[in-house]
Amino acid sequence: MLDEYATTLTFIALGAIFAYSFYAVLIAGQLSLGQAGFASLAAFSAVALAPSAADVGDVPALLTAIVIGMGVGAAASIVLGLPTMHLRGVFLAIATLGFAEAVRVVLLNAEWTGGAQGLGVPRVLTVGMAWTALAVVAYWFWRMGGSRYGRALEAIREDELAARAMGIDVGRHRLAAFVTSGAVAGLYGVLFAYYVRLIAPSDFDFTAAVEGLVTAVLGGSTMFLGPILGSGFQTMIPELQRAVGIEAGWIRPFLASLLLLVVILFLPGGLTSLIPRRVRMPAAADDGGKDLAGRRHPAAGDTVVTLAGLGKEYGGVHAVRGVDLEVRAGEVVGLIGPNGAGKTTLVNMISGLVPPSSGTATVLGTTVGRTPVHRIAAAGVSRTFQHSKLFDRLSALDNVLVGAHLVSRPTFLRRLLWLPSARRDERAAHQQAARCLRRVGLADVAATRASALSYGDQRRLEIARSLASDPSLLILDEPAAGMNHVEATRLSELITSLAADGLTILFIEHNVGMVLRTCTRVVVLNFGEVIASGSPEEIAADPVVIEAYLGAAEEDRATGPAEASIAEGTAVDPTASGPDAASPDAVLNVRPGAAGTLEPPDTTSRDAT
Amino acid sequence: MQQLLNGIFIGSIYALFAIGFTLVFGILDRLNLAHPAVFAASAFVGIELVARGGMSLWTALPVVFAVGALLGLVIERLAFRPLKNRADAHFAGLISSIALAGMLIALLQWRYGPDTRRFPAGSFPDSRYEVAGAQVTLVQIVILAVSLALMVGLTYMVTRTRLGRGMRAVAENPTAARVLGVNVDRVTAVVFAISSALGAVAGVLFAINVNTAQLGMGAAIELKGLAVIIVGGMGSLPGALIGGLVLGMAEVFAVQHIGSSWRDVIAFGLLFVILLLRPQGLLGARKVREV
Repeated sequence: MLDEYATTLTFIALGAIFAYSFYAVLIAGQLSLGQAGFASLAAFSAVALAPSAADVGDVPALLTAIVIGMGVGAAASIVLGLPTMHLRGVFLAIATLGFAEAVRVVLLNAEWTGGAQGLGVPRVLTVGMAWTALAVVAYWFWRMGGSRYGRALEAIREDELAARAMGIDVGRHRLAAFVTSGAVAGLYGVLFAYYVRLIAPSDFDFTAAVEGLVTAVLGGSTMFLGPILGSGFQTMIPELQRAVGIEAGWIRPFLASLLLLVVILFLPGGLTSLIPRRVRMPAAADDGGKDLAGRRHPAAGDTVVTLAGLGKEYGGVHAVRGVDLEVRAGEVVGLIGPNGAGKTTLVNMISGLVPPSSGTATVLGTTVGRTPVHRIAAAGVSRTFQHSKLFDRLSALDNVLVGAHLVSRPTFLRRLLWLPSARRDERAAHQQAARCLRRVGLADVAATRASALSYGDQRRLEIARSLASDPSLLILDEPAAGMNHVEATRLSELITSLAADGLTILFIEHNVGMVLRTCTRVVVLNFGEVIASGSPEEIAADPVVIEAYLGAAEEDRATGPAEASIAEGTAVDPTASGPDAASPDAVLNVRPGAAGTLEPPDTTSRDAT
Repeated sequence: MQQLLNGIFIGSIYALFAIGFTLVFGILDRLNLAHPAVFAASAFVGIELVARGGMSLWTALPVVFAVGALLGLVIERLAFRPLKNRADAHFAGLISSIALAGMLIALLQWRYGPDTRRFPAGSFPDSRYEVAGAQVTLVQIVILAVSLALMVGLTYMVTRTRLGRGMRAVAENPTAARVLGVNVDRVTAVVFAISSALGAVAGVLFAINVNTAQLGMGAAIELKGLAVIIVGGMGSLPGALIGGLVLGMAEVFAVQHIGSSWRDVIAFGLLFVILLLRPQGLLGARKVREV
């Protein structure tokens, strides 16, 4: 019975292993087509170098070949990965494809590979061995899924910049994913070689690479079972067609392509999207387990941020000019100013996303400028973004778990071995995440995808995510944008309670009333320069601020009611963008994106990158 | 000199093919992998028109252009439009266009069989000319003239006409273009139609140049097309032209000086160097996407 289907089953396993080499990078959002090149190099070198099966026996020969092949695949992917890891999207795909093609042509012209005739290899691989290898690979990716490393890769796929800001070293993670892919491709190459009896460079051409990619995407690149389902589908279709009597010719490829089209159009996320997934929110009673190792925070009054003559210039436009500012631990500093005043640019410089063009900035002992974003995050800076940058396809809980990256411990390798300590660490991270979700009031939507949340909830989720890293300095960029009056008040209370816990907070907000109520100090920026700084009372009474906000202060209408309303904390920044320009009483829960991307002209401040 | 001219002829076909590729990528940010299938299909259609329909080359070319445009509309409607609001539209579009390409090739196999096809003998005038000591056939001159005319026409359309302005607006920001009254769906469809029409003409010219059409001819030029658009700069039309000519000449010289078996390494060697030194390509501007 099994014998009858042995060939089909073996090819399912081989196809799935090859698809895993694509899955390994797709899960991190990388599109690489170089796997055929890795497989080819691995197959030919392993066959050339490994001892003959006749001398040492089948299994030892195959195992040696596998070790050689995976080593060659990994080494080749490092060589290719180092210069190409800065490429994104299609560019990476084409560069890696170019590599694979170059490998193919070189091997075709080399003596030791037999050229176009190919190389004869004894058939050693049995269906059992193929499925054992597949099981090992699948196990690897299954255990990766729930680990800190696996979550970091998914975060990079969803939003690279936000992942950096959560302290993930994107370059290293991307290279790691790439090398994994190379090693798995190498494994495929060797297994393929020891099954088909004759290998030629053309077995690993562009068509083969596309087939591997198709299998991986078809199965679904967000769940570890995807490649197996994809390969089963791809391999079974011709078999089924033969079984129902469709003979070779044009109909077979036509139907296979048609099915592929149908699956890709109607099953976003591939075949695995048919498998339901559950997210478990740790119960409140779970608390009391081991806590994550917290950070050492600066003592109240210590300097957290020092800016000296900080400036940023974009092609002659001074977005920020000569800003001197000191923020001390425990302060809640509000940063206000009209649109284009340079608030976001300033904050981007402090969090390391944008290098300053002049002056220096020291944040928690780290000098900002050439320091990568994730290092600054590691120093204890955590932030939210003006336009939510959540990991859209991850659940709310997973978003916050990624936020806890810096304070949780790597668990992947220990999860492979089922060590209890990995389980404890994961539970601690989950509890930390759950606490943060509860704190912002999102406990009941933990399992919801981030993209499915309401706009206000997305903003709060971002705050929960940035709290998860137990930061010393929390930077919020317009956290109340798009929130209604009630939500903004609740947010204000949250910020006050966080400050009471000793967190230093710097936040940009257009809701002046909220800023004056919440902050211990307010800094006003206009045209890139600090025009006022002081306690909320001083700012509310400052004529320079009133002028910047309402235009000419000498005009009658500005001095009277406007000043009063600022002092009362009811005024809303009239220059503010979008929904929050309206009356604070209005219930506004409109996502600005709904109005398209027609942002008000914002000539100087630039969101990150 | 002879080599230089041969390089220019083959390079102009590469350029025409690549311009179709890069048009969709530059304006719509999608890689249409069904483009090579259109290339192959049009070669077979062109041969059928001449061999069975008894058409001359001059009447066959506009028909092939129209067939290509039609295929482009079909590709857009079936493989890309259903995906436009999906988060993974990038990957999904690659796969759906691969699927559609597979269907197209299967249909070609059904209609024309797996064998190589040729134009009937005597389909084209056999005039030859002497240019600066090199032999040039009339057919080669036609190839060059048609390629250049189409590229000039396209450039004029993109830079000078209302439709072209719509395309550039969509390239810059589809949502803003929609708000400002550009019919984005129609512009998208037109871009696919033009792109495929150019690919189709390139296919039939290629078939004329080597006098064969094979089912696998699209796959063979696909990689070169990708190399050309990277070398020239993603989305840059003049870049694709220059990239195509550079590749065509580099290949011809490589065949002469290094050996024909290494020809294909040239494209990828060039590609690699460009990607490492100047990832935006020779004429591409690096598009910084705001977040």
